[in-house]
Amino acid sequence: MKFNNIRRAMLRAGVAGLAVAAMTCSTRTAKAADVTLVETGSSLLYPLFNIWVPDFTAANPGIRLTTTSTGSGAGIAQAIKGLVQVGASDAYMSDALSKKNATMMSIPLAISSQAINYNLPGLNDKNIKLSGPILAGIYSGKITMWNDPMIKAANAGLDLPARVIIPVHRLDGSGDTFIFSQYLSDSTPMWKSGTGFGTTLSWPAITGELGAKGNTGMLSAAAANPYSIAYIGVSYADEVAKAGLGTAMLKNADGKYVLPASDTVGAAANSVVTDTPTDERISMIFAPGAKSYPIANYEYAIVNATQPDATTAGAIRTLLTWAITSGNDPKYLSQVHFLPLPAAIVTLSKTQISKIQ
Amino acid sequence: MIPAALCAVVLFLAIYSAQAVGFNGFGFVSRITWDLGNMYSDPVTIRGVQVPPGASYGILVFVVGTLLSSFIAILIAVPLSIGAAIFLSEAVPAKIRPVLSLLVELVAVVPSVVFGLWGIAVLIPFIGHYISPTGNGYGLLAASIVLALMITPIIATTLLDALLQVPKENRESAFALGATHFEVVSKAMLPMVRATLIGGIVLALGRALGETMAVLMVSGGGLNILPTSLFSPISTIASFIVSQLDSAEQDPTNMAVRSLAEIALVLFIITLAVNAGAKLLSSGVLTNVRHRKQ
Repeated sequence: MKFNNIRRAMLRAGVAGLAVAAMTCSTRTAKAADVTLVETGSSLLYPLFNIWVPDFTAANPGIRLTTTSTGSGAGIAQAIKGLVQVGASDAYMSDALSKKNATMMSIPLAISSQAINYNLPGLNDKNIKLSGPILAGIYSGKITMWNDPMIKAANAGLDLPARVIIPVHRLDGSGDTFIFSQYLSDSTPMWKSGTGFGTTLSWPAITGELGAKGNTGMLSAAAANPYSIAYIGVSYADEVAKAGLGTAMLKNADGKYVLPASDTVGAAANSVVTDTPTDERISMIFAPGAKSYPIANYEYAIVNATQPDATTAGAIRTLLTWAITSGNDPKYLSQVHFLPLPAAIVTLSKTQISKIQ
Repeated sequence: MIPAALCAVVLFLAIYSAQAVGFNGFGFVSRITWDLGNMYSDPVTIRGVQVPPGASYGILVFVVGTLLSSFIAILIAVPLSIGAAIFLSEAVPAKIRPVLSLLVELVAVVPSVVFGLWGIAVLIPFIGHYISPTGNGYGLLAASIVLALMITPIIATTLLDALLQVPKENRESAFALGATHFEVVSKAMLPMVRATLIGGIVLALGRALGETMAVLMVSGGGLNILPTSLFSPISTIASFIVSQLDSAEQDPTNMAVRSLAEIALVLFIITLAVNAGAKLLSSGVLTNVRHRKQ
């Protein structure tokens, strides 16, 4: 009896407590959910958006932000259809899509880059030197062995093994494939007229070539296959290092070999600042300058300038402005190895953001 | 209700892909190259429809990959499941049989992504180190083994149910005639459950043909090249649709998505053909058995 009474009392207290908690919760969410913004797209930008959410919503309690990772193609498509307010993409919108959807804008949020990683037992700490034409040769099946004369010529003094190269590429549509193939196109005429560039390619048929899903798939395929080579987004740099893969130095437009690092990627960004048009759709692949790393890109928000109501438009403006100012703080960006936008680009982005009505 | 839903699905696929069917023609299933074209330049008009320049859609590689991986999976799974079913019905005491058969059924409901993870973590390094001549574990063999593991419980449980329903009289009269245990199973019991076995295989084949995630994780994603050995990377129809959808959505002409819908239509037709074929086969086997009895 005694126990039963105590239990009943506890239950009652518990129920009351729950009710109070539920009430406070509901009043809080009712206040916070004045506007709900949905972001979807690039799996490369997704971690950054997730880092942003708590601080952004703390600074702007009237806006709730939902983030999902679907892929750059989905980000662009759903933003155009109006299903989401912010589409995230590693690639800017194509001319054809921009013409078809004149009110859609591509607004840079941060700068990302990509590493060429390889699994060469014994040489993974050596940073071998590779160029666009060498990579184009590997991915088109013209260079099949690690001790190919072209690779040897770029890496004098290194003991390259007589082993077959296993090229790994992305199987799913990917901004990484987009910037990688842009580097090959810009540096190698043979690749430009053949395979070209895009988020998915019709890869030349090579025996033993592997397709992998996502950056994690690229990483595990490269780690599991000695003598493989892969292109992996720089957000995965920590995992790449943990897996013990090598990172290649790449030949830039000035003929210098550089590693992906904040100064080399920053140099690439600075070299294209003056050429960036007002719609900010520009490639910084194979940028000029002795220090420029050749595979760097803007990460874009794909947004419709014409919004259904003023509240939503205002919330999107608040979000994007916050992202390119406070959100570009190194304390956020360094976690995913991104770089902040140069000041001139921030100005251009702000002009674009002000058009959202 | 269910036939209506089926019709609606087929109708949707047919209408949505109609433009692609017209553009691709019959070469769709015989071409090896799948190329979305250059989606970053202006679309061109070919055969009356707008497509990105260079676009050419051919799915022979995926059809071959789908049929080969499912076929090899069945080859591996059938002996395994027959063995498992006979073991459970003959060698295991009736008391613990329900427990063991429940465990087998549980394997059938393990999500496919778990099989895929196991494939990546265990199977692929194993194939790469010990079996594959090139040191690469991804490909046809890995996909087939993962599929085989996924479908074995489907065949085994269907067969077990049938074996347990073979009348006691049949077993006992065979024993009375002096047959060994092996002969009882192989001559008196298995022929009676042949139709069920084929039914189970068809069910399993349906699962294998349409399996997406696990295959995507271990197949190596072959593109534009037909498999030449067990260690060649392949793509299956279902996994290819998933991997391409995101890029296809960027196509300003929408032809890429329509062509993916056409692939889905082809997968549907293949599944239908396999099922119809198996139906014919199993009914033929049934009449054979009846004839023999008379």
